[in-house]
Amino acid sequence: MKNVKKYFASALITAAVLASCNPLQLDDVQDPNNPSVGSVANDATPQQIQFLITGLESRHRGYVTNISQAWNTFGREIWYLNASDPRFQTDWLGQNGRVPDRSYFGFGSTGGGSWASPYQAIKQADVLILAAQNTNLIPETSKSAVNGFAKTIQGYQLMIPANFVYENGIRVDVADPLNPGPFVPYAQALDVIKGILDAGDADLAAAGSGNFPFTLTRGFAGFNTIAGLRQVNRAITARLNAYRKDWQGVLSALDQSFMNLGGPLQLGPSHPYGAAPDIFNPLFYIPDAAINTIIVVHPSVLDDATPGDLRVQNKFFERTTPVTVTTDAGALVGTHQDARWASNTVSIPFIRNEELILLKAEAHANLNQPALAVEAINIIRNAAGIGDYTGATTTEALIDEILYQRRYSLWAEPWGHRWIDARRYGKLSEIPTSYDGGAIFTQFPHPQAELNWDEYSGN
Amino acid sequence: MFKFYKTLLTLALLWGSVGWAWAQYTVTGKVTDERTGEPLIGASILLQGTTTGTITDLDGGFSITIPTNEGTRLIFSSIGYLTQNVDVAPGVSILNIQLKQDATNLEEVVVTGLATSVKRSNLANAVTSVSSKELLGTTTIQTTDGALYGKVPGATIRSNGGAPGGGISIQLRGISSLTGASQPLIIVDGVYISNASQRTGRASVTGAGGSNQDDGSNRLADINPADIETIEILKGPSAAAIYGTRANAGVIIITTKRGQEGRTTVSLSQDIGFAQPLRLLGVDDWSEEKINFFFPEARRPLELERFRAAQASGTFVDYEDFFYNNQATLLNTRLNVSGGNEKTKFFVSGNITNEDGTVRNTGFDRYSIRANIDHKITNGIRLGVSSNYIRSNTDRGFTGNQNNTGASIGYSIAYVPNYFDLRRNADGTYPVNPYFSENPVAVTDNAVNNSLVNRFIQSFTLDVDLLKTNNSFLKAQISGGLDYLQNSTLIYLPEFLQFQRGQANPGDIFKGNQESFNTNFQAALVYNWNLGSVNMNTSAGLVRLDFENSSIFNRGRGLVPGQTNLQQAAIQEINSEFNSKIQDAGIFAQQEVNWEDKIIGTVGIRWDKSTLNGDPNKFYSFPRASVAFNLANFDFWNVGFMNQLKPRVAYGETAGPVNFGATFTPLGGTNIGGLLGSVVSTQIGNTLILPETARELEFGVDAGFFNNRLSVEATYYIKSTQNNIQNLNLSPSTGVNTTPSNEAELENRGIELSISGTPIESANFRWFSRVMFWKNDLLMTRLGIPTYIAGAFGSGLGTFLYAEGYSPTTIVGSPANADNPGGFTFWGDAQPDFNMSFYNTLSLFKGLELSFLIDWKKGGDNINLTSFLTDGGGTTNGWFDDDNGDGIPNGRQRPPAPHNNAGRWVQDASFVKIREIGLYYTVPRTTLNSWFSNTVQNLKVGTSVNNAFLFTDYQGYDPETSTFGAQAIANNVDIAPYPTPRRVFFHLTIDF
Repeated sequence: MKNVKKYFASALITAAVLASCNPLQLDDVQDPNNPSVGSVANDATPQQIQFLITGLESRHRGYVTNISQAWNTFGREIWYLNASDPRFQTDWLGQNGRVPDRSYFGFGSTGGGSWASPYQAIKQADVLILAAQNTNLIPETSKSAVNGFAKTIQGYQLMIPANFVYENGIRVDVADPLNPGPFVPYAQALDVIKGILDAGDADLAAAGSGNFPFTLTRGFAGFNTIAGLRQVNRAITARLNAYRKDWQGVLSALDQSFMNLGGPLQLGPSHPYGAAPDIFNPLFYIPDAAINTIIVVHPSVLDDATPGDLRVQNKFFERTTPVTVTTDAGALVGTHQDARWASNTVSIPFIRNEELILLKAEAHANLNQPALAVEAINIIRNAAGIGDYTGATTTEALIDEILYQRRYSLWAEPWGHRWIDARRYGKLSEIPTSYDGGAIFTQFPHPQAELNWDEYSGN
Repeated sequence: MFKFYKTLLTLALLWGSVGWAWAQYTVTGKVTDERTGEPLIGASILLQGTTTGTITDLDGGFSITIPTNEGTRLIFSSIGYLTQNVDVAPGVSILNIQLKQDATNLEEVVVTGLATSVKRSNLANAVTSVSSKELLGTTTIQTTDGALYGKVPGATIRSNGGAPGGGISIQLRGISSLTGASQPLIIVDGVYISNASQRTGRASVTGAGGSNQDDGSNRLADINPADIETIEILKGPSAAAIYGTRANAGVIIITTKRGQEGRTTVSLSQDIGFAQPLRLLGVDDWSEEKINFFFPEARRPLELERFRAAQASGTFVDYEDFFYNNQATLLNTRLNVSGGNEKTKFFVSGNITNEDGTVRNTGFDRYSIRANIDHKITNGIRLGVSSNYIRSNTDRGFTGNQNNTGASIGYSIAYVPNYFDLRRNADGTYPVNPYFSENPVAVTDNAVNNSLVNRFIQSFTLDVDLLKTNNSFLKAQISGGLDYLQNSTLIYLPEFLQFQRGQANPGDIFKGNQESFNTNFQAALVYNWNLGSVNMNTSAGLVRLDFENSSIFNRGRGLVPGQTNLQQAAIQEINSEFNSKIQDAGIFAQQEVNWEDKIIGTVGIRWDKSTLNGDPNKFYSFPRASVAFNLANFDFWNVGFMNQLKPRVAYGETAGPVNFGATFTPLGGTNIGGLLGSVVSTQIGNTLILPETARELEFGVDAGFFNNRLSVEATYYIKSTQNNIQNLNLSPSTGVNTTPSNEAELENRGIELSISGTPIESANFRWFSRVMFWKNDLLMTRLGIPTYIAGAFGSGLGTFLYAEGYSPTTIVGSPANADNPGGFTFWGDAQPDFNMSFYNTLSLFKGLELSFLIDWKKGGDNINLTSFLTDGGGTTNGWFDDDNGDGIPNGRQRPPAPHNNAGRWVQDASFVKIREIGLYYTVPRTTLNSWFSNTVQNLKVGTSVNNAFLFTDYQGYDPETSTFGAQAIANNVDIAPYPTPRRVFFHLTIDF
C-alpha cells in the first residue's frame, strides 16, 4: 500500500500541473494574415483611408482582362486565341450554336470580370465612403474629396454590368450585402449612374481646390487634383450620356472634361501595371513569341482598314509565324498581334481624349450639327494620316463614319466599344461572323448566383 | 493495446507472487501451435476472473500457481491464435495445450476508446484491422494508403495519378463533407499526423490553376509502411465518436512495430525491382488524307512537307511511348533491430526507398529512421516512446493540367503529330514545337518539380498503475506527441524553354517553404473492476490538440541562365504567405460492460470545443452507445457447426471541423502603382458557423463456422450528416460572393460484407481466402440553399450537381435542360455501384507461399478530358477511323449526338485490377543451420508484382485518376495524368 500512496501522490502532482496550464483553455485566435473589415468601420486613421483608396484603384482595374478578351471578341475586334482551352474560341465566338447561359464559360456563376469584379469595386467604394464618414481623423473637405472620387469610380464601374446584361437590367441598390435591391431596366440604371456621377462631381466641388488630399497612383498623373478628378468624372459622364442618348448632356459634360481638341489623343487617366508585387499589363505579348495563347487582331479589322491608316501601322504587329489554333469547330489563324504596349509595365488608359473627341462628333451628328461633327472627325482622321472626311453629311452617314473611326481609334480598349456601339445603333448584324462561323451575342443573362440569391432570400 | 494486456499480465504475476497463500496448487505445461507443433513463446495464461497470470518461456513452457484449493479455469491466449479456456482442479499438474491459428482474427485487440481496447470477438462495431502481413506481405507498396486497396470494406481509395511518391485519397463510407477532401483523421502511435496534400506551386507556374491541381503527395507518404504493425480503421461515427470533432470522415489508427522481450533480432530486407506503365493507349497515325482534313488550307503544304520528310527518313515518334514507357528502377532497403529484456524493449528501424518513375527525371526517395522504446521505470510506471525522422525527396515531373505554358507532357503531346520530331538536336538545343507552346522534351529534361520534406514524429505514453487489487485495477495514462513537418518545394522552368523565351521575363522559379507543427496531449484514467460476473471498464480523460501551419511561396521570373537562387531573378515576388493556428480541447468518458463475453456494451461521450467554430468556447457533445451479443457463448447455444454468432448494433456522433478563417471578414493586401492597398474580401465571415456533425447507426452480425474455419461479417450503416458547410452564394451585385453556411445535410447508406476462411488446411497445404463486398449510396437530403452546379471545368465539359434528392457526385453538363434541377443534362455519377475484393494465400509444403489480391470497382463515371485534348489535337488512337462511314472521323463526332455536349467526356470507370501478386519461399530452419550454422535465423526470398494487370473499357491510362487531387467531389477528372506504373520486385529478407 505504500506504493499506492506514492502513485496517488504523483497523480495529484500531475493534476496540479495540468491545472496550472489548463489544457482545456483555448487562446483567442485572431486572423494572423489580415486586418478585418471591421477595423475601418469606425475612427479609421488617415493611413487606413489611404489604404482603402489604393485598394479602390486596385479593384477599379479588376475588369480589364476579362472585358478586353471577351467583349472585344464579341465585337470581333480581336480573337483571343488559346490553344489550352478551346472554349475561349468555341464558346466566346458562339460557334456550333453556343449561346450564353447563366454560368457561361469565362464568366462562371458570378459573371466574373464582367459582373462580380465591377461590383467589388463598387463595394470597395462603399466601404471607403463609410470609413471616411465615420472618422473624425480627417477634415470634412477630405471626406468630400474621398466621396467624390469613390462615386466617380462607382459610376464608371456600374456601366460594366449594365452593358453586360443590357436589357436584362442590373441592381443599383447594392450597399447591404444581405438585402440587395431589385433589378432595374437598362435606361433606369443609366439614370441612376448619372445621379451617382453628378453627386460625385458635387462632392469633389465641395472639397475645394488644390491637390486630392490622398495619394493616387501614377494612373491619375495629371488628374490628381480636385479639378483634375472633376474632369475625369465629367469625361465618364460624357460616355454615359452617349449611352443615355442625351446628346446635349454629352456636350455639356465634355465641356467640363479634359477634352482637348488640339491636345494629345492619348491624354487620360489609366490603370497602372508593373512588376511584382504589382501585376503586369495583362494585354502585353512579346512580338513573335512562339506561343499559342495570344490576343490577335480580328481579320475583318485588317480587311476593312483604310490604306495608310497610322492606327493600323501603330497598333497591329504582323507576325512572321501566324498563330493557328484548332478546335472541334475548326481552325483559327491569327496573323497580327497587339502592338500598343511597349512592355508589360505600360499603363492601360480607361478613358482618353480621342474617345472624348469622337463623342463630341457623335453628339453633334445626332444633334444634326454636321459641320461640327465633321470638324471633330477630321481631328481624328488627320491624326491617323487618312485626310479629311469627304463623305456624305447625313446623320446616318456621319454615324457610320464615326463608328468606323471608333473601331480603329478605340480598337480593343478594355471596354468592348464595338460590341456596345453596334448594339446601341442596332448594327450587331453588321459584325462579320464569316471568319469564324460563330454568332454575335446581344447580351448575357443574369449570372446564376443572382438567381440563386433571389431564390434563397425569397425575392 | 496488446502490449497493454501483456504488461498487465506480467505485472499481475509479479503482484500475485508477493502474497503467498496457504491453499494453493501449481499447474505446469507447454503451449504449442496445433498445426506445426512449434512451441509458442510469450503466450499468456490467465486465471479467470482475476488479474493473475503468467506467460510462456522460450520453449513454450509455463508454470502457474493457483492460489486456492478449488477448481478453476485458465485462459490461454497468444497473438494470432484462438483463445482456449481450460478447466483445472487440484490434481491436474501437467497441461499441454495446442492453440489454433486465428485465421479470422477473432482474438486481435481493437481500440475502442481513447485509452481502452477490446478483443475483436467482443467488438460491437465493424472496425477493420489490417496487419503488417496483410499490408505488405504480398508486395512492396510505396505508401501506406496505397497498400490498403481491397483490404478495407467501405473504403473508396483512389490514386490521383501514377507519379512517384503517393497522392491517394481515402473516403470511408462515402463522403461526410462537401468542402475539403473528406479524408479520415490519421493517428500514428497516438500522434495526430498531418496528411495534407501540400501545395507545390506547379499549378501556379504551369498555369493550371489552384493548388489542388499541383498533384502534390498527401503526406501520409512519409510514413514507412514497413514500420507498421497494424492499422485499425474506424469507418464512421458509430466507431469513432470518442474522437469527436475531427472524426466525421473516420479515423485511421496506425500502430508501429515494437520490440519483444528476448533475443535481439537483426533483420535485413532488400527489394530490387522495376516499374513500367500499367497501360498505354497508343497514338494515331497520320496520312496525307488526314492532314488535308485536319489542317486549314494555308497550313497544309507545310504539314504535308513535314509528313513526307518523316516518311522518307522513317522518323515517326510515338510520344506516349517516348515519354512514359521507360523502365524505372525500384530499390528498397530495410534494416530492423529489435529485442529487449523484461525492463526495456526496443525496435529500431532504418529504411531507404529509392524508386524512380517511368517518366525520366522523376522519382521518390524516402529515408526513415525509427526508434520505439518501452521501458519500465518501476513495476507500476511504464514509459513508451516512439521517434521517427523522415526525409522524403520527390520529383514528380510535369503532367496534368496546364494553361498556355505547355508545361505538361500529356497536354502538349495531345497536339503533336507523330511525324514531327521534338527530340533534342545534336547541338543540345530543342526543336520549336509548332503545335503547342512548349517542347515537352525540353521540359522533361530540364524543368524541376521537387518537394523535399523533413519530418519528425515523436510520441510518448506513460502508464501509471495507481491501484491494483485481485479483481480491479486503476491506472493513469498520459500520452501525447508532436508532428513537425517542413516541406521545401521547388518548381523551375529554365529561361531557354520555348514558352519562357516568349515571355517578357524568361525563366520561372517558384520556391515554397511550408511548416506544420501539430501537438496533442491526452490524459486518461482507466478503472477496470468486476461486478459479480460482469467486467466493468471505466475510462475518462481530456484531450488537447494544437495545429500550427505556416507557408511562404516566392517566385522569381527573368532568371540568370542556370541559376535557381531567387536573387538571380529580375522579377522577385512574394507569391503568398499564409499562417494559421488552431486549438481544440475535449473531455471524454466511456463505460464498457462485459458479461462473461456474452453481452458486451459500451456507452461513451465526448465534449469538444475548437477555435475554428463560430463560438470557440462552446462544447459540442458526441455520444455513443453499442452492444454486442455473443450468442455462442450462452449456455443454451447448441449449434455445433456455428461457433460464433454475434449480432451487434452501434450508434455514434462525430463532427467535422470548420475551415480555418470561416469566421473572418478580412481586408486583403494588394499593391498597385507602387502603393499598398486594402481590399474588401469577397467572402463574408460567418461568426455563427457550427462544426459539421454526423450521426451513424450501424447494425451487423459476425458469425464463425466450423471452429472458425469460415467467418462472415455483415454490416449495414446509415450515416447522416448535418450542418454541412458549403458556401452560400450571395448576390454578387453586392460586391461579396460567398459566406460559409451550415445548411446542407447528407446521407450515406451502405453495406459491407466480408467472408473469409480456410477451405483447406493440412500440414502441407493451407489455403486462406477472403471476399469483401461493399457499396455506398450517397444522397443530399437537404441542400438549404438554391440548387447549384460546381466543380471540374464547368457545364460544357461536365460538372457536379448540388441538389436536394440527388447525390452530389451526379455529373451534369451541356446541353442545358430547363426541366432538370440545375438546368443541365444528367450524364453520370462518380459513385461506384459497388466494390469487391478477392484475396487468397496458398501455403505449400513448408515455406512456399503464394498470395494475390484482386480489386473490382463496378460503375462510377469519370470526366475524361484527356480524350477531349487528344481529340482536339487529332492524336487519339483511332481518331481518323470512321465507324459510321459518314465521312466525318470518329475524333470529330464522339457520341452522344449531336457531338457537342458534355456527355462525350463522361465515361464509365469500372475496372478489375490484379493489385498484388506475391510468391515467397522461406528457407527451412534445418537448411539454414547447415548453411550458416545458427547465425542466420530466417531467410526468405520472393518475387511480387504491384498493379499487375488492369481490365477496363475506360479510355485512359487508369480509371483511377484525379487532376484535382484529393477532393470530396470532383475527384474523377482525367487530364493528361502521369500513367500508373506496374511494379515488379524481387525480395530478400535475412534475420540474424
